[in-house]
Amino acid sequence: MSFAVPGSEKFVYQARTNAALQARLPPSLALHTVTADAVRTVDPLSYEVIRHRLWAITDEMGEAMKRMSGSVVVTDCNDFGPGIMDELGDNVQVGLYNTQLASSMDMAIKWTLENRAENPGFEQGDMFLCNDPWVGGGLHQNDVMVFAPLFCDGQLFAWTAAVAHQVDLGGVSPGSWTPRSQNVFWESLPTPPIKIVARGRLQADVEDVYLRRSRVPKIIALDLRAQIGANNIAHERIRQLIEKYGATAVKSVMKRMMDDAEERLRAKLRTLPDGQWSAVTYQDQSHLGDREVHRIVLNMTKTADHLRFDFTGTAPQSGMINCTYAGIRGGILPAVLPMLCGDIPWSPGGIWRCIDIISEPGTINNCTFPAGICKASVGSCWATQNVVTECLSGMLDTSPVHRKHAMSVCCGTWDLVVLAGVDQRAQPFVTMLCDAMAGGQGARTDLDGVDTGGLACIPMGRIADVEMNEFAFPILYLWRREERDSGGPGRFRGGLGGSSCFVMHGTEVKQMHMVFSGGGKALPQAAGLAGGYPGGTEHEVIVRDSNIRTLFRAGHIPGELEELSGGQQIVQPEDESDIGWDDVFFTHWQAGGGYGDPLRRLPSAVTEDLAAGKISAQAAETIYGVALRADGAYDEAATIALRERLRLVRAGVT
Amino acid sequence: MAYVIGIDIGGTFTDAVATDESGHVVAAKAASTPPNFARGMLDAIREVAQELKLTPDALLKSTRYICHATTSTLNALVTGNVAKVGFLTTKGHADSITIMNTEGRYAGFGPEELQDMVRHKKPLPLVPRHLVREVTERIDFKGEVVVALDDAGVRRAVQELLAAGVDAIAVSLLWSFRNPAHERRVRDIVHALAPDLYVGISSEVIPRIREYSRAATTIMSAQVGPILRDYLRPLSAELTEMGFTGSLLVMQGTGGSITAHEAPSYAVTTIGSVLTGGVIGCVAMGSLLGHRNIISTDMGGTTFLVGMVVDGVPVKSNTTVVNQHTISTPMVRINTIGGGGGAVAWLDDGGNLRVGPRGAGASPGPAAYGLGGLEPTVTDADIILGIINPEFFLGGRKRLDRSLSEAAIRTHIAEPLGLSVENAAAAIYAIATAQAADLVRKSVVNAGYDPREFVIYAFGGAAPAHCAAYAAELKAKELVVPLGPTASAFSAYGLAGSNVVLCAEQSNPQNFPPNTALVNETFRALETDLRQRLAAQNIPFSHIELTREVDIRYTLQLSEVTTPVRDGEFSDADVARIGDDFETLYEQLYGKGAGYREAGLQIISYRVFGVGYLPFKPVLPDIERKIADKIAPKSRRRVLLDITVGWQDTPIYDYADLRAGHDIAAPAIIEAPTTTVVVPPGVHATVDRLGNLIMRFQSEVGS
Repeated sequence: MSFAVPGSEKFVYQARTNAALQARLPPSLALHTVTADAVRTVDPLSYEVIRHRLWAITDEMGEAMKRMSGSVVVTDCNDFGPGIMDELGDNVQVGLYNTQLASSMDMAIKWTLENRAENPGFEQGDMFLCNDPWVGGGLHQNDVMVFAPLFCDGQLFAWTAAVAHQVDLGGVSPGSWTPRSQNVFWESLPTPPIKIVARGRLQADVEDVYLRRSRVPKIIALDLRAQIGANNIAHERIRQLIEKYGATAVKSVMKRMMDDAEERLRAKLRTLPDGQWSAVTYQDQSHLGDREVHRIVLNMTKTADHLRFDFTGTAPQSGMINCTYAGIRGGILPAVLPMLCGDIPWSPGGIWRCIDIISEPGTINNCTFPAGICKASVGSCWATQNVVTECLSGMLDTSPVHRKHAMSVCCGTWDLVVLAGVDQRAQPFVTMLCDAMAGGQGARTDLDGVDTGGLACIPMGRIADVEMNEFAFPILYLWRREERDSGGPGRFRGGLGGSSCFVMHGTEVKQMHMVFSGGGKALPQAAGLAGGYPGGTEHEVIVRDSNIRTLFRAGHIPGELEELSGGQQIVQPEDESDIGWDDVFFTHWQAGGGYGDPLRRLPSAVTEDLAAGKISAQAAETIYGVALRADGAYDEAATIALRERLRLVRAGVT
Repeated sequence: MAYVIGIDIGGTFTDAVATDESGHVVAAKAASTPPNFARGMLDAIREVAQELKLTPDALLKSTRYICHATTSTLNALVTGNVAKVGFLTTKGHADSITIMNTEGRYAGFGPEELQDMVRHKKPLPLVPRHLVREVTERIDFKGEVVVALDDAGVRRAVQELLAAGVDAIAVSLLWSFRNPAHERRVRDIVHALAPDLYVGISSEVIPRIREYSRAATTIMSAQVGPILRDYLRPLSAELTEMGFTGSLLVMQGTGGSITAHEAPSYAVTTIGSVLTGGVIGCVAMGSLLGHRNIISTDMGGTTFLVGMVVDGVPVKSNTTVVNQHTISTPMVRINTIGGGGGAVAWLDDGGNLRVGPRGAGASPGPAAYGLGGLEPTVTDADIILGIINPEFFLGGRKRLDRSLSEAAIRTHIAEPLGLSVENAAAAIYAIATAQAADLVRKSVVNAGYDPREFVIYAFGGAAPAHCAAYAAELKAKELVVPLGPTASAFSAYGLAGSNVVLCAEQSNPQNFPPNTALVNETFRALETDLRQRLAAQNIPFSHIELTREVDIRYTLQLSEVTTPVRDGEFSDADVARIGDDFETLYEQLYGKGAGYREAGLQIISYRVFGVGYLPFKPVLPDIERKIADKIAPKSRRRVLLDITVGWQDTPIYDYADLRAGHDIAAPAIIEAPTTTVVVPPGVHATVDRLGNLIMRFQSEVGS
């Protein structure tokens, strides 16, 4: 359902040149600036030392947040990001955490400069909080950005920011994420930048307004302190840097880092051929009950030292899978950073200068208010990243030098599973199951994808141990394992995804509520490259009223769902349900896409995969065309013949 | 005369220090002899005996303890030359060691490697799939049996593994640390089938929550246990044959030793053996100088290692990463970066000057070595700046070629950047010291401390040339460069003075506060176990000290904060105090107001360290007092020590001319046989009674 909301326009980030932005700032706000000459003439020594220190500061912010947070989403999934911006909000340095979240910090700060400089104004020690994705700073309302202006001698010198995914900020379903959403009013309340810390003091009233909406206000409060703490650490460190080297030198280095990233990315682009690459991906449900597919189209054009991402032709906004403009950027940067910037400083402020985005407002990856956006991060933002990955890899694969940084799509979707109920200590709980963080990674042009290696947008993601999950929540795992045959077949195989299977355990309240939101069940979404197959689809099953308790008592642990009695309910991409005491829940998240034709995979690599349990004998023969002997080795002549036959079958000439 | 010998077995050299009761200390060096490191160790004993003008047998006959740091277990893991291990785990969870919580893709990586994630790989699984078996059994978080152990299935699995020819079996079942019955039963079944097979069970190796690292630790322990046993047995036998009747001790990663007899059962604790030597050297020297809070900085040819001593005890961490696998074993915390004399200076694609992390290694080494290295290193910059005398490197034992340093810096750095060779060298020097300062700051601050409250010790070939710069930047209280008779074998000296340290721990995660009786019972059980194990070391300790700690966190946090707790019987109020102490420590770590009690606390693990003090401590002799106030420099040369001051005509002193009480005016350079010490402008240096150089910083220096 779509309708315009007059008055909501002011909350939409407007891209402006820095000169235009500056013209809108009140004269009372003094900015600390440096001349182009100062930036050009930074000596190599100061540059390297200060650059290194700025990197160390974002690292320290990230470490502090991880240790201080009480949410597994932050501590284990690394679903957060720290950053340092210059006085106008251009992003100088981001940490190696969730790079989606780093993609729109600049938007939120620029919006804040434009709309908050006069009233309530900025002072040293202030911090703002924002979770409005139209403003920026995050992809959906769960992403909360806390950011702070840093003043030096009365001039606005820089900004620091810490964004983190919050477990629950209200809305109709636990986790603030509901397949029932028809528009943003069903979801958590978006909050445009509000001053939550004034001159170093946490504002109790403002904090209460923020916490009141949550089902787990204690965890949210702990995370808020982690975010404030991270900003405090950054300010202290940057201040020390200014004391030692002077404001001009530090600022010049900040500007130079962005220039440097820009120049190096441009230099790399110049070594690649010009051309156009395109990709299309489909999401298989936009909300509960939806039977449509929703496409994202990308035509990427590379000309000289510039990239243009044109999303014209993308489907109109629908349901709750949409993302705002922050999400389209969040789909581009996490692919550009690892694939093009593995050896270039991660200074998004410079990297964005090499990129243009063309997109129609009102589409699923550039939606207008009040479209539903609760799933933005792993809905259209993620899907955007998939098509960007395909196009960038296609481009890189044309270069003998750069092709080793091409990668097929990693884990095509995030398999959201939210659990809510009463735990073994009789306390209410809400959590997101983070096991899908062990998604399979895409194959490289010379290497298999990393099995259960993680997500492309979170370089340092991790999953919690089964024991930690069982200690924290009222569940008992039957298994957590890599799933055979899930990796996209190819000359280089996509990394395997995995599955978890559990029952409720140890709690007096023998029922849990679950929210499911994971596309890619009807359609694969981790595309392969250069003839590689896509990674396997997502799959979720609830076995209702099973005999699991009887099996346990009889000394049996099932290894397959088929060993259980009871009805198997296949879970839709977007769904909500309760599960009961005798129900068994199975979730199988996605894998990575393959690279190259599987019929060209080394037969010895195929038999090694077979021995290691990575693929089945059936896949070895029917997909890889390897003729197996009884001892698990391959028959060379028969393999050549089998592969020849499979090629003819493909060509339809048998 | 009775002796104690400390031996540090490194990759290249084996250092030995022997001391007697009267403070007589001698040091000697021999080449290390991989893969059989025992041979190099015996060579070092012969060398040190010769220094004492004794036969090796005579020395060994009157030696009470030999404490050695061995690289054998770490080396076995790094080279993959380990025992063939079969792995048994709970049904449904065999993939834990291949999933590696996903972090196995990048664990232990530095920032540069992390950023290049498109090229990441996981290491091969610790145990290949065909040697892994799942057994039907299940215990829950409370330690209750949900599914009984399938004895017949275990027997079948063990028989298959035996048929596959395993040397050892590692067993790690879910929640075994809460209820070890199933693991013990599995071990009994293995022993019934193969009485002599090495079996490690996780509930004994490391009874700590988190199944992935517990399994990895148990497997690694089983991989290196037989190796360590096979290394120590013949070594002990040979020493006995030579007349040694004392105790052979092996240094562990905790900074304390264990007897050779007991070590193979706790093999994983020896993985950090060689890394800790410097830190315990600092503990030993610190106890003589009255320093309780020390930052240990060791800069060699390829790495820069930072450790800490707080209140006289090395700071430990509870997990470590080996080959991208996370393992759980308490270990002295050592932070490291690729850096040091051999770190290569280079320009990245953007034309920015970088130093390290890649090093030139021992060969080809710095350009000045003339071994074919064309890339400039930190050592080359030190030569250009006049810090290192190419004629007197390692006391003149190695000639360096300044023109090669100059050519390397000119071609790779100076010309592309449009700088003079001298300014390029100054930039390399400054970046190397700034990076060292960053690592020290990160190590100290992340542990919750302030570098200004510490004394920095600097050793290793390259540290003394750079330490004044990084110590000044960190505003450390004082800087100590150990230069006395132990200078060349600082780690071995520490080993000679070490104590036996054993650790017992138990996870039992609970919401806070736990039941007081349970706390008392847990500590009682751990201490009973520790006392028995200390007794089994069969050493007459002068005294035994037990210290307790718990791992505690706010609800659902990723990591716990290790919090020391009182000894003796706990009352309810004492238990409540654990929470308060944790919160105090937490604020110290993360800043005031960072904590949030309303989120609740969870206590995860209990741990006790038992220290058995050896009755015999090495004593260092005083060096001669000064007679005259002034020392004559052996020469003078132009040196650039501080870019803001520029080139200065600088006196060069020979370490042999220094006497206790001498003051050295800055700027100055002191050339010792093993190293070169820099005393930059603004620093006040004196020689202490043990021959160490002590530097203090005038206020405002380096800020």
